[in-house]
Formats: sequence, C-alpha cells, structure tokens
Amino acid sequence: MKKLKFNGWAVLSTIISLMIVLPNLDIIIHLFQKPNETWFHIKEYLLKDYITASIIIVTFTIIFTVIIGVTLAWLISAYDFPFRKFLRWSLILPLAIPPYIGAYTYAGMMSYTGVVQRFFRNTLSIEVNQKYFDIMSIEGTIFIFTLFLFPYVYMVTRTFLEKQSAGLIESARLLGSNSVGVFFRVIMPICRGVIVAGSTLVALEVLSDYGVVSYFGVQTFSTAIFKSWISLGDVDSAIRLAGILMVVVFLILSSEKVLRGRKKFSFTNTKVRPIKRKKLKGIYKILASSYALLVFSLGFLIPVAQMIAWSFMSYKNIYYSDFFKMITNSILLAAGCSFLIVVMSLIIANHSRINSNILSKIYSKVTLIGYSIPGAVIAITMILFFVDIDSKFKGLALSTSIAMLIFAYLVRFLAVGFENIEGGFEKIGNKFTEASRSLGYGVTKTFFKVDIYMLKSVILGAFALTFVEIIKELPLVLNLRPFNFYTLSTKVFEYANDEMIPESAIPSLIIVIVSFIAIFILYKVADKEDA
Amino acid sequence: MWGETMINKRKKLIAGMTTAIMTLGIFTGCTSGKEVQNNKVEDENIVNVYSARNYDVDKELFKKFEEQTGIKVNLVEGKSDELIERMSREGDKSSADIFLTVGAESISLLKEKNLIKEISSDIINTNIPEEYRGEDWVGLTSRARVIAYDKDRVNPENIKTYDDLLKPEYKGKILARSSTSSYNIAMLSSFIQEDGEEKAKEWAQGVVNNLARIPEGNDRDQVKAIAAGIGDVAIINSYYIAKMVNSSDVEEVNASKNIGLIFPEETHINLSFGSITKSAKNQENAIKLLEFLTSEEAQSAYAEANGEFPLNQKVELPELLKSWGEFETQHIDFEKLGENKQKATLIFDQVGWK
Repeated sequence: MKKLKFNGWAVLSTIISLMIVLPNLDIIIHLFQKPNETWFHIKEYLLKDYITASIIIVTFTIIFTVIIGVTLAWLISAYDFPFRKFLRWSLILPLAIPPYIGAYTYAGMMSYTGVVQRFFRNTLSIEVNQKYFDIMSIEGTIFIFTLFLFPYVYMVTRTFLEKQSAGLIESARLLGSNSVGVFFRVIMPICRGVIVAGSTLVALEVLSDYGVVSYFGVQTFSTAIFKSWISLGDVDSAIRLAGILMVVVFLILSSEKVLRGRKKFSFTNTKVRPIKRKKLKGIYKILASSYALLVFSLGFLIPVAQMIAWSFMSYKNIYYSDFFKMITNSILLAAGCSFLIVVMSLIIANHSRINSNILSKIYSKVTLIGYSIPGAVIAITMILFFVDIDSKFKGLALSTSIAMLIFAYLVRFLAVGFENIEGGFEKIGNKFTEASRSLGYGVTKTFFKVDIYMLKSVILGAFALTFVEIIKELPLVLNLRPFNFYTLSTKVFEYANDEMIPESAIPSLIIVIVSFIAIFILYKVADKEDA
Repeated sequence: MWGETMINKRKKLIAGMTTAIMTLGIFTGCTSGKEVQNNKVEDENIVNVYSARNYDVDKELFKKFEEQTGIKVNLVEGKSDELIERMSREGDKSSADIFLTVGAESISLLKEKNLIKEISSDIINTNIPEEYRGEDWVGLTSRARVIAYDKDRVNPENIKTYDDLLKPEYKGKILARSSTSSYNIAMLSSFIQEDGEEKAKEWAQGVVNNLARIPEGNDRDQVKAIAAGIGDVAIINSYYIAKMVNSSDVEEVNASKNIGLIFPEETHINLSFGSITKSAKNQENAIKLLEFLTSEEAQSAYAEANGEFPLNQKVELPELLKSWGEFETQHIDFEKLGENKQKATLIFDQVGWK
C-alpha cells in the first residue's frame, strides 16, 4: 500500500519532467547539427564580446541583488524601525514592473525631455553634461536589473530568516557578537541556500532578457540569438545558440547543490519562534528607514510615479476597446497557470525530498531549463511541438487554442514556483515528516496533513511570485496566443514597440496595480496563517 | 479538536483546488472551443489576420471593415519574423489567411518559405501603383528613412545625399540606433542592391567613423539626442517625427520643434505590405480586406494617424507630410530587398556598428 503511494509521486514527477523536456528536445537536437556559415560569422565577430558582456551583467546583477536583498531581509526581520511593517511586504513590489518597462521608464526620466533634466534645465537653468545622464549602457543595464529583480533574493531570504534564525541569532548576540558580526558570521552562512536559490532566478531572468538590452543597445548573448534569427534569417543557428545557453545553465545549476553546501538548517523544535526584533534608535533608526525607503522608491515609487504622470498625458490617445477583457484575461491566465505551477512544484519538490536519488535531482534541475533561454525561442519550439501533436491526433486543435500558451507558461515558470517551494521544504526539513510517518501516516497522507500546513505561507509566496511573473510576461503570450486574445502585457507591447512610451504607461500601470493587489492579499493571508 | 480543524482545513483546501482547476478548465475550454469552431466552420464569415502592424489605427480600420462587410476579423499581433516563423511551423495547419507586416525585406523570406500566394484583384491593382505590389504581395504604406537635423547647427544645403553624412565636418555628430534594428538593416540592404556591397560597406564604415556615440535607444531617442546636443544629425524614420510633433508628451513636442528633416536624393523607402497565406481558408474575405486596406478611406487613416505615406495616389497627404515637400525615392526591387539582409548584417558587424 505504502509502496504504491510512494510510486505515485515518482510517476507524477517523471511526467512533469518529461512535459518540460519534450518540447525542448528540438532545441537540444539543434546542438548536434552541422554548423553553417552564420555560425562561423557569429563565432568570429560576436560571440566573445557578447559572452563577456553577459557574464559582466549577470555577475554584477547577482552581487548587487544579493547585497540589497540580504541586507534588507536582515534589517526587516531582525530590527524594528519606522515603516518596517509596510516595507516588509511592499519591498517585493518592484517585481511587478517588467524590467523592460523599467528600462523605458528610467531612460525616459533621464533623457533630455525627461523630468530630471527638465528640472535642471527649466527650474535651475543649468545645462547638464549628457554623459552623466546616459543610462543606456552596461552599467545602466545592471542598475535596471538590480532594481527590479532584487525582490527574488529579498523574499526568500526574509521568509527564511523570520522563521529560521531566532535561536542562532540570539545565541550569537548573547555570546557578544555585534550586529555586523552576526550578519557576516551567522546570517550569510545560514542563508547560503536561499541566496543561491534567489540569485539563480535573477541570473536566469537576466540571461533570457532581450527587452532591456535591445533597447539599451547593449549586446549580450541573447543579442546573438536574435541577430542570428532576425537579422541573419537563420533560425537554426538561433536555436543552436539558445541550446548552448540552456546546457551551460543546466550544468552550472547542477553544481548548485555543491554551493548550497552540506549543512542543513531546519526547524529544530516544534514551535517556530520569530526573531525578537531589536528596536533601532537614533541615527541607526533613520539610516535603516532611509535605506529601505530609498530602495523601495527607486524600484517602485519613482517609476510608478512616472507612469502615472505619463498616464495623465496619454489617456486620451488610447484605444480602449476590450480593456476590461484584457484585464480578466491577464488575471485568469496568471492565476490559473500559477496554481498549476505551484501544484507541479510541490510534487517535484516533495518527491526529490523523500526520494533523494540522482533521478530526482535531475528532475529538480529540469524545472529550471525553461527559464534560462529567451521566451521567443521557447515559443517557436512550442509551436512545432503542438502542431506535431495536433497532426498525430486527429481532431485536436491545441495549436490554435490557449492550451499551447498555458503549457508554455508551465514550462517557462515552473522554475519560479519550484525554487521557492523547494526552499520551503528545505526549511521545514524532514523531522516532522519523519515523525508523522513513524506515527503511521504514509507519504501522501503526511503531505496533505502535515507538509502542506507547514508550507502554507511558502506556497502562497510562490503563487504570488509566479502570478506576478506571468502577468507581466511578454514573448510567450505575444507569440502563442490564439486569435483576438489580448492581455495587459500585449497592450504594453503594442505601444512600447511603436515608441509610444507614455501610452504604454496605462496598461503597465494596471499590471502594477493588479500585482500590487495580488501580493497584498496573499501576504495578508500568509501572515494570518503564520500567526 | 485539532484533528477536526485539520480535516476542515483539508476540505477547504481540496475545495479550493477543485474550484481553481475547474475555473481553468472552463476558461481554456471556452477559448479553445471557440477556436476549434473557427477552424471547422469554413464558410463562416471571417478572416484570420496575423499582423506585425501593432497600431491602434489598424484595429479601428478592422472594425470599420467589419461594419461595412459583416466579415469578422480575427487578429493575432506580434513581431514580423516571429509571426513568419509561427506560420512556417504551423505549415498548412496555420489558420492565418492574411499576413500584414512592416518591412519589405520579409517578402523574399515569405516566398522562400512558400508561405504566400497570388493575389488577383482589379480593385487592388487600381488602388496601388504597380511599383508597390507584386504577384503575391501588396504594399500598404511606405516609410522613408531620412536625416533629421538641428535647424541651428546644421545647414541642410550641405546634406543632399546619404553620402554627405560621411563628410569630415560631421565627425562626432551623427546619431543612429543599433544595427540590430530592422530599419537599419533594410536601409543598408537597399544600398547593397543599388550600389553593391563594396560601396555599402564604405558608407557604413563612414557613418561609424562619424558617430557621436555608440548606438543606443530607438528612433525617437536619436531625435532627443539632437535636442540634447549630443549630436547634430540623426538617421530616423520620418513618421517618428510626425509622431513626436503630435506626442502626448509636451517635452517631446518641444524637442521636435527645432528639428528639420532632409529627404536625401534617392531617399530610402521601405514598405508595409500585406499577403495572402498559402494556407488561407477564407481567401475571398482576405482579398476583400486587402481591397479595403488599400482604399482611400483606409489609406488616409494610415497617413493621418501614423504619419506613414499612403500608396494609394488618390489620397491627399496630411499637412505635416505635405510640408516635407516632394522628394525623390530610390527605385529598388522590393522582392529582392531581403536577399541582402544577411550581407548587410555582416557588414554592420565588420565595420563595428553596434
């Protein structure tokens, strides 16, 4: 009996992993095809520079997102200062702004006609040197990615610290360690696992981006992919490049376990005790508040304020037909797919936890591959896959339905759900599961009666993140949607693509508002569950 | 007690899950059901459009077409090459009847992939001059890639041709966007077609030598950079000036005030065009739509709303476009434009046009 249920998890995990791998097989196959002329051109002129640029951008973005994400998580969970309660959940809001929209917004603000230079020029009558206002560079790219992606690191680290570290931190404090000492000697080491998980998502999102870099004119590895495809008209080379990216990422991530180290930090007693927060005083209080508010302003308030200003300029020029349907489409699509992703992540994570073998480890890394390459490449692979299925099974018309888009979302964003849920499992450890099982519950029963309850806030968090990711996603919905299917992000694209940034602000703003509400509700619910 | 609440909670959870799955099921079911219907019932009065023209004016025109003919327009929008790849992968299963795009460089790709078929319509043939249509494609609008300049710092008399940009006096003064932009690729492709690879490469090299900064941003950003004094002349599509003049952002309008446009000798123009797909199941409706889009009504809407040049010669130009005056365009073979795309890209990389 037990054996049978046990297999259920393995079977489901296998099916899910196959689901992810099968459509991507086409990409892998391209790796083994004979290289052609384009390939040599790319290798000769472009590859070295592009790879260097990509490595620089990914490395620095990771460094900055980790610094910002971890310090904020630490401040919020271990100290008390003004606005702490509000910042605790609102610091995740920058994720609601798609990086490419963030890029347009910041470039717009910093440009000659933007609010910053206008202030200098019209109010202060100072002619500024344009050099210092040019954000469209590698540095600017890193700035944009850091601002809009740091919540990945912040969120996992904060959840972890709040639950996890009370005992350790208090012991360290008792033993006379000062705050800085606690941070470097206790916090950083115990957070290593979640930091790696969070920054993995950051790295993958940066690698697969083409929106920010193509607007900024920064040439990265995804430029090579799109140059092969669009400019050189060589789809095969493009897919081949994407395949290389996918394999490299897969290999690096497979070594991630090594980075996470052998040490496990999980609940040691039944009552999870929150950290006793230290009240900050005087200058420290002000410093902590200002630092957190500054990050929040840069990553959310300022760009949103700009969007609001643009919305006032442009609302008359917008073609509003079907706007309401666009909103419901966006919400339904994001909610439905996020739900499925959370369920799938739970299955794979639970399987790999109970059954720690090579296969389950591979499964858990497979979840990440869809997130590593540009969405447009995933999209064209999906089309081929679904047209194939349709022609094998008469009467099916999946390739013209929304099923294809939903499936693609599962493949792409399973990583986001999984990284968060796996982190949650790691956090609760095996002790409770073992206790439950030694009391006679099977794996499945334990999962439903014990694990799920302990993971509730993690599950809600994973849902929120995936929801926000999907509602702002562009290339997949652009390329895979059925006829007459519009979402908020396709509307943003229509205007942004035509260089009508003020007009694109209204749908962008609605994306932000919807994400804001979703995050707010989920956090309130999660907090209630925790209490 | 504890056990009871657990069970209740579990029930709630399961109920929640079921509702979510059902919602999703209904949601997907409905949409896919509708789509299947669209495909099955071929005599339904519809036309399925894949369009890389992502403009509001297009949607307004489709609505007008629906009102006038009763033919429902189903629309998927996207980027040109991605839609072409989608059609090519869908093969004869593709439900697209019409493909609309910007950039005549796509014609050769569509032909090569065997995705489009002959259009025969007397109405289209009278609406659009022969130069701007082929056997299996019809031009909708043209766009000119021109030279924008600062009225104070540049004497327009000194720039009569694209080659004049290479003069030493413009060293450090030229602005252009990245070579990954399809507009730049199409432009250089047309130069290759007209003057050969060697000369095109010299030109690209000359521009790179005179660049004011490493290419960044879009066409509007180049104009703003002139206003900011980063450079004096920029290579841009004319309709962006039209859009900036009418921009919802007052500062953009101001920035465009001191900008003049030069239409050089043999101005490079590119076309937005439409084709009927090989897989078209609603061919007659597709032709009707193309006839409508080439009509005076639609063509003047393109010009008014988008600042594109109408190809229907009966349409009167809007004031702004008229103010630019008559200009002489290059005469290229649009069907062959795409054949030089690869060469153009290679040249850009060789001369270091980022």
